[in-house]
Amino acid sequence: MVRALGISGSLTELLRYRSLLVSLTWRDIRVRYKQSVLGVGWAVLLPLSMMLVFTFVFTRAIDASSVLNVRMPYALYAYIGIVPWTFFAVSLSGCVNSLVANRNLVTKVYFPREVFPLSCIASSFADFAIAMTVLVGLVAYFHLSGKWAFTPHWTLAFIPVLVTVQIALTIGIGMLLAMANLFYRDVRQVFSVLIQLWMFVSAVVVPVPQDGSLLARIISVNPLVPLIGAYRDCVIYGRWPQAGPMLYATVVAVIVLIGGWVCFRRASFKFAESI
Amino acid sequence: MCDTVVSLSKVSKRFRLGATHDSLRDLLAGGIRRIFGGPSEQNGQSVFWALRDLNFAVRRGDALGIIGPNGAGKSTVLRLLAGILRPDGGEVVVKGRTAALIEVGAGFHGDLTGRENVFLNGAILGMTREEIRRKLDAIVSFAGLERFLDMPVKRYSSGMYARLGFSIAAHVDPDVLLVDEVLSVGDAVFRLRCLERMRELVGRGTTLVFVTHDMDQMRSICGRALVLERGSVSYGGPARDAIGYYLGAMSRAYVHRPPDLIEGDQRQGDGIEVINLRFVNGGGDEAVWIRSQEQVRAELTFRVRRPIPRLIVELNMRASLSENLLSINSGRDDLVFDGTVGQHTVSLVFPRLPLSGGQYFWNVRMWDADSGAAEVDTPFRFPLVIDDEGRKTGALCLEHEWSIAEQPPGAAAFAPAQPAELTYVGEEGQRESMPLR
Repeated sequence: MVRALGISGSLTELLRYRSLLVSLTWRDIRVRYKQSVLGVGWAVLLPLSMMLVFTFVFTRAIDASSVLNVRMPYALYAYIGIVPWTFFAVSLSGCVNSLVANRNLVTKVYFPREVFPLSCIASSFADFAIAMTVLVGLVAYFHLSGKWAFTPHWTLAFIPVLVTVQIALTIGIGMLLAMANLFYRDVRQVFSVLIQLWMFVSAVVVPVPQDGSLLARIISVNPLVPLIGAYRDCVIYGRWPQAGPMLYATVVAVIVLIGGWVCFRRASFKFAESI
Repeated sequence: MCDTVVSLSKVSKRFRLGATHDSLRDLLAGGIRRIFGGPSEQNGQSVFWALRDLNFAVRRGDALGIIGPNGAGKSTVLRLLAGILRPDGGEVVVKGRTAALIEVGAGFHGDLTGRENVFLNGAILGMTREEIRRKLDAIVSFAGLERFLDMPVKRYSSGMYARLGFSIAAHVDPDVLLVDEVLSVGDAVFRLRCLERMRELVGRGTTLVFVTHDMDQMRSICGRALVLERGSVSYGGPARDAIGYYLGAMSRAYVHRPPDLIEGDQRQGDGIEVINLRFVNGGGDEAVWIRSQEQVRAELTFRVRRPIPRLIVELNMRASLSENLLSINSGRDDLVFDGTVGQHTVSLVFPRLPLSGGQYFWNVRMWDADSGAAEVDTPFRFPLVIDDEGRKTGALCLEHEWSIAEQPPGAAAFAPAQPAELTYVGEEGQRESMPLR
């Protein structure tokens, strides 16, 4: 089946161009932090400051205690939502523009076009990894200040699985977005609005409603809800993610990955003349 | 070693004219129109065939040049070969590792240093990091940018940018090298080195497809050439003949253009019509291509509509758009022609044309010696190509003679030179080096 869909050819080609993938990723990382005083520090500062903003908004500015029944310090809750979410959202907004921004490469040089969205995701993964290590410090801070007791658990070992599922989902959506934006530049605008909405229905900074209402049922389609919930389960609560929702997120991720990749592959020969 | 590495069979490529469906609004509008049976935008008029039924093949280690006017489809051919575009019909086969130099430094990032860009661009061209690391010194010294390697390329001059770009591509060691008009950048010395490098690669078995407007460059590398006109091959054969064909076709196309489009044609009287200016070589054959130092006869054919008893003819030649390199005026030679009504041919013989290799363009001027009224002043549209076998050095190729004299020790610096035994006479074919003691 994989051969029939053209993915195997695509993979061997990608393997041949892996050093390009590394170079482009490296370029994205270098360029992002060139000519900035704090450099890579921004990978830490951005999610931390977002955490502070949301903590201020939801615990000081407005009274949201009825919604925020999260059984842990809200700052920790927010941070562990913001970090995977930022990885997801930044990857996708990079992907949307990846082909169009590299127009001169798309029209002047041949190599597998998958490299563009993939390198965007890989470079945001670097930020994600850095931000995740900061989580250790944050957990230690809350533990030592006595606000919340942390006990390490075997469930931490499940995190690579979560990251893998998330990356699969990101690649699939990212390829679809990159391709769609090449043909229709409107996609980028629509995306920038939708990603905002998506954040608030993904349990990133506020829990999603689970009262069986229509809204709750629509939101439950979103594979990011079980995914981000699973990060909290594994890191903070020390429990295994619920099998059903986790399986659902995985299946969705795999379908999106294959579907997105195949569409991208099929359309890629039109990129140079349509861009 | 005779196998075909590059082949195009019945290849066609079309492009959409105009930007249909560039935004969702157009798509929706188009979709609605289609649903309601309105006129579709996808009619025949909006499609442009860049290539039609193109066939050619290149064998391993051969160098093929592609020439043709702008918009003939030359770059489209290269992009098809590079895999950037896919043909709408036919088959493109390219065997082996391909490096395409369609734009020098495509993919350079201004914020990265020269070194980082070498790695990035090398990867873009399909090299591994290990390979680039191995070749880094060679790449940098070829480009002559050792001192600037750790400077962001946004601070490079455009020449430095181009040199680095070419240098990377030249070190890919591809099986098939595709080069599109990139050697017009950089200074003369670097251009020469690029040509040397391309020749070296071809010598080592790389297959080259080279698109250029510079006939000298092309002829010095390519054995064979195609002339591409409006998407199909109008001539294919030895590079020299292809260039002759192309320049001939170009000048004919020029003559057939409507007069108001031809610059400098305002002072065209109605008394004389120039039919042609052609060149005939020593063998008596019409030629656009003539060897340096060979005899050339210029034959000017024109029709006189009303009698001009004292007609002066002038032929001018230029190498570029600047100044005349040569101006031969019959009036200055105390010669006037009797222009009776009818067709005439005036011939002008140069026993040896001491020009070095290159393209030259001629024009014709004629006027009435009595009234002084100009009858004809054509643009510089008649081509003549001089072949000096790639030894182009300066504009002229004058007869010359070398000598060397030994300076006796202690002699005054300006002592008269003693004739030496060794003499080098600059003649065709004789190229021994002169031993210096």
